[in-house]
Amino acid sequence: MRYDLIIIGMGLSGLMAAKTAAGEGKKVLIVGKGMGALCLLSNTIDVLGQFPKIIRMRDNLFQWIKDHPQHPYSKVGLEKIEEALNSFLSLFPPPYSFQTVDHMNCLIPTGAGTLRPTYFIPITMVEGTSLNEGKALIVGLKGFKDFYAHYVADQLKCRGVNVSLSDLLHGEITTTYLGRLMEKNSFIKNIGREIKKQLNGENLIGFPALLGVHDPIQVKNNLEEIIGAKVFEIPTLPPSIPGMRIFNRFKEWLIQKGVTFLLGYPVSKVTLKGKKCEGIEVSHPPVTTSYSADRYILASGRFMGGGLEGTAEKIFEPIFHLPIPQPQSRGGWFEKKFFTVSPHRIHRVGILTNNAFQPIDERGGLILENVWVAGSILAHHHFIDEKSREGIEITTGYWATKKAME
Amino acid sequence: MNKKTWPKSNADACIRCTTCMAVCPVSRVTPKFPGPKQAGPAAARFRRPGEPSADDWIDLCIGCHLCDMVCSSGVNVSELNLIAKAKYLDEKGRPFRDWLLTHSYLWGQLGSFFSPLINLLFKNPVIKWMGEVILKIDRRRELPGYEFLTFRQWFNRKPTKGNPKIAYFYGCYTNTNEVDVGKATVQVLEANGFEVTLPPQRCCGIAMLGNGDFKGAKKMARYNIPSLLNTIHSGSKIVFSSTSCGHMIKHQYSHLLSIPSAEEVAQHLFDVFEFLRNLKESNSLNTHFKELSLKAAYFTPCHLRALGMGIPALEILRLIPGLQIDQIEADCCGMGGTFGFKKEKYEISEEIGKDLKEAIDRLNPEMILTDCEGCRIQIRHLTGLKVLHPIQILRDALQNDG
Ligand code: SF4
Ligand code: SF4
Repeated sequence: MRYDLIIIGMGLSGLMAAKTAAGEGKKVLIVGKGMGALCLLSNTIDVLGQFPKIIRMRDNLFQWIKDHPQHPYSKVGLEKIEEALNSFLSLFPPPYSFQTVDHMNCLIPTGAGTLRPTYFIPITMVEGTSLNEGKALIVGLKGFKDFYAHYVADQLKCRGVNVSLSDLLHGEITTTYLGRLMEKNSFIKNIGREIKKQLNGENLIGFPALLGVHDPIQVKNNLEEIIGAKVFEIPTLPPSIPGMRIFNRFKEWLIQKGVTFLLGYPVSKVTLKGKKCEGIEVSHPPVTTSYSADRYILASGRFMGGGLEGTAEKIFEPIFHLPIPQPQSRGGWFEKKFFTVSPHRIHRVGILTNNAFQPIDERGGLILENVWVAGSILAHHHFIDEKSREGIEITTGYWATKKAME
Repeated sequence: MNKKTWPKSNADACIRCTTCMAVCPVSRVTPKFPGPKQAGPAAARFRRPGEPSADDWIDLCIGCHLCDMVCSSGVNVSELNLIAKAKYLDEKGRPFRDWLLTHSYLWGQLGSFFSPLINLLFKNPVIKWMGEVILKIDRRRELPGYEFLTFRQWFNRKPTKGNPKIAYFYGCYTNTNEVDVGKATVQVLEANGFEVTLPPQRCCGIAMLGNGDFKGAKKMARYNIPSLLNTIHSGSKIVFSSTSCGHMIKHQYSHLLSIPSAEEVAQHLFDVFEFLRNLKESNSLNTHFKELSLKAAYFTPCHLRALGMGIPALEILRLIPGLQIDQIEADCCGMGGTFGFKKEKYEISEEIGKDLKEAIDRLNPEMILTDCEGCRIQIRHLTGLKVLHPIQILRDALQNDG
């Protein structure tokens, strides 16, 4: 099968690349070995979380780009970063939309009871950003082990309760099971009444991020009506229901636009001729299928998704075997202490690119003419420390694809 | 871990990331099943060949493969579950009901011949009640009726035409219960200039495999593979219209059942819409479609996902003028082949189905299209809507010249 563009990787950067190309009417194939990390890690959209709350994000980015000329954000540029983020936001029209608090980082409570800086948040989390001492009641559910209300509440200096319901009497309860129950009116009624009984002056309810997969706003409204107080979502341990909402929305939109969506099988081989990629093979034992395109986007993620792999001696990129500049030996991968101020060096390695996100070698020579690279696999960022994961994925996925289509 | 070289058990490749927990349809509707991460890799580490099975919930895995699809670490979760399920059922013993449900191919011919009577009996509440009490087949299920003239009989009475040859694996259900799916497949292929042949074939064995009966499934495979191999050696490709049969032959025969030459057969075996998409790609698809003013919704069967070819039916159907087709946003219909007929599992099956029904209600279509017979049975049961194989609609759109 022949396409205009083939995207390797189904994380946020790959999805964003697919959206960008499909939005321009291109024939697109997106292939993912697995589902990417959206449903694990992403609840909100971080852009540059390490900056204080009081500065506008635009000014943060302006300064950041000035100070870090090699960073992926600097290659995208301020104007295109905003364009890319807007393109992402356009997929989520109200009611379930994403927003900022005054165009600055905001702090949201997490399932660990900490306050975490982030930028775009779904509307279901907004009330959590203005948490005052004692104002909120944090609610957990008996039998649900991925959210400890008292632990969270203690740290937030609020009160926590665990409600127990007869619907939940069977041993272990999973996130998706609860997320589904929350979409049932009878369950909401029961849990709403239970929570109402527990109120003691609080006018805000912190609830694990489980307000349904399909229509969280409806669930939130129903719950609020019964309790008589505002409800906000707090991210839990993975899997992440807010992440699933993002993934499902992309998937629905892309399939609607005619994108071929190939989830579950790895790219086993690429065919190169000179500086051009001529095709890929997707392996599905015992069959291998060939696909080709004019252009390719590599958005295969880092170690967890298999975009980068490590042996005892070295780190490599397994699909195109693009060079990965890295410390001489394994001894240089990590700092002496696990928790350090400066990030471990291994987290900075990645693929070098020119300003158009095409892969280059250490002397700046172009390696492949029809391949562009996007997302966390890029070098010169440290998204954990910068708190920039989703921002990098969205903006590079968008801009690398725009460049590829020029 | 590379999915290319899946060993029989690769539980240790699991990094416990929980991605699979986001998609499992069974653990989404019942806390009785702990979900793929626990049921597959986590429990597999404690299972020893000589020791008795400890997990009685293993039988609740519906075998949808969704967990396998989303795992970036290449863990073959559903396969780990299937192996554990087979061991569990070997120890516990299988009810006669399971034998009945998985051997329907044995009396398909008889069923067709006596269809007027059987179909009446199948609708009879007393019979259904007895079925539930004695066999534990849930009485809330409609038992699929038989057709008097089988597909093969229809085919043999029909003049042949066209060139080159293309072989068709139709599967039991098409042969005796949904003959029009077979007719439509033949008619579409003929409209594209092919001569259709029917190689000797038996049940693919997927129902047995799903019930942990490896031996029975292998028996079927050992009959089908030599026959299909002959067909291939005579220079013909093979298409299937049932995504379940197709997935079974193409991907399970070789890897899970180790049937000799299954790998060779797999290279020449195509889903009928995948085959048509290839024709489209080489500009040789017959696209003389008449307008169909219809609002339909398409559902992607699990085995179609697992075939890893995208959604070719959707791509082809979108070429038909006037046909508005939306994709239903739901994973897994809950039928799981024979799973949904069993009394002890009916409720789980129906709960999964409810999510699908809600997704259908949001679209409000006139008709549903889906490539798998199990999904069609379930969706008819859930919605009462008309549910067809997409090939039937494509055939309708092509019937304008004659
Ligand atoms: S089986 Fe795969 S998806 Fe599931 S927890 Fe393990 S690594 Fe993650
Ligand atoms: S095969 Fe389907 S039902 Fe079984 S564990 Fe995997 S996702 Fe769940």
